[in-house]
Amino acid sequence: MYSIHRLLWDIRRHPDVAARYRSSPDEVLDAYGITGEFRTWMKDLDFKSMYEHGVNPYLMFFCAIQLEVDRAAYQAQIRGEKS
Amino acid sequence: MSTYGRIVGAFAASHAPGITGWPERAASDARAAVEQAFTEVRHRIEELEPDAVIAVSVEHFTNFHLGNLPAFAIATGDSYLGPSTPEMARFVNVEQHSYPGAAALGSHLYSFALGAEFDPALVEGGLEFDENFCVPLKHLDPGSKYPLVPVIVNGVNPPWPTPKRCYDFGRMIRGAVENQTEVKRVVVLATGGLSHWVGLPESGHINEEFDRDFMSRLESGDPERLTDYTGEEIDRAGNGAHEIRTWLVAAGAAGVGFDVLAYAPVPVWLTGTAVAAARL
Repeated sequence: MYSIHRLLWDIRRHPDVAARYRSSPDEVLDAYGITGEFRTWMKDLDFKSMYEHGVNPYLMFFCAIQLEVDRAAYQAQIRGEKS
Repeated sequence: MSTYGRIVGAFAASHAPGITGWPERAASDARAAVEQAFTEVRHRIEELEPDAVIAVSVEHFTNFHLGNLPAFAIATGDSYLGPSTPEMARFVNVEQHSYPGAAALGSHLYSFALGAEFDPALVEGGLEFDENFCVPLKHLDPGSKYPLVPVIVNGVNPPWPTPKRCYDFGRMIRGAVENQTEVKRVVVLATGGLSHWVGLPESGHINEEFDRDFMSRLESGDPERLTDYTGEEIDRAGNGAHEIRTWLVAAGAAGVGFDVLAYAPVPVWLTGTAVAAARL
């Protein structure tokens, strides 16, 4: 769990991590050792699944802001209204 | 003979990003009530002529993370950047700039806290602001002229400090201000709350019953009522409602009841939004 929390935080706080994540997500996910379902959810920005598995919603929400995910899109996603 | 410092005013306000980021989307009467209350507080603070502002809020993983998350932190820097990123600046519609720090008062507060058997984290520099301070200060100190001592309370990840601990932390702040002679006039400003859900499916809901009950307790100033919450009770008003801890710190620092200058449930701002002033 710490690895995913750390990645969400680093994307939020470090523009270079956010840029690398946008261009080469697998490379970044490898670097953070994120595997399995969390890797899939993070690649898909599946915030609903991550929340349901214990990820801090603040970290997800502010990471989404940094990735410039539209707020309405985030809300639809976390509510399960959008796949 | 030196005169000792004192808290000349204490205020509390919501810091919802929509207050500055998208004010026009709120109902016009709600927006007007909130903005008028902010204006009222700005004028009151100007009249109080504070030498420093002890600003108490949470921070939303802007500086701290789950590898290092203090329950309380006191910053002792001489300046603070806010908003922390250009993206955050666009989000809250606040131009990125430097806020002045009241470094000496911050250092005294940190030292006094340890002597009073509190154990806050020390943040000597590098603390950056998000909506926690940038949103309310855009209304309350648009010129960023007041030197700040930022105090951070964990309200973003359980387990949280107890309500009583937060109130007592505020009492400690009052003791710290009154036990130094360098900074005479100090305003305490708490930001955060009330009911809201951050990053959650319920986002946009408001628990007005919780909000009004909390404000009733705040108006009473009764420490027993103010601190009579379990974490689960606060949870019913959302993960963001845990930010009321910052108001409890201000209540402890003031030691008196507050007047609620405005309250409006504003779903488009995602919060029950309030502005309050201690009857000092």
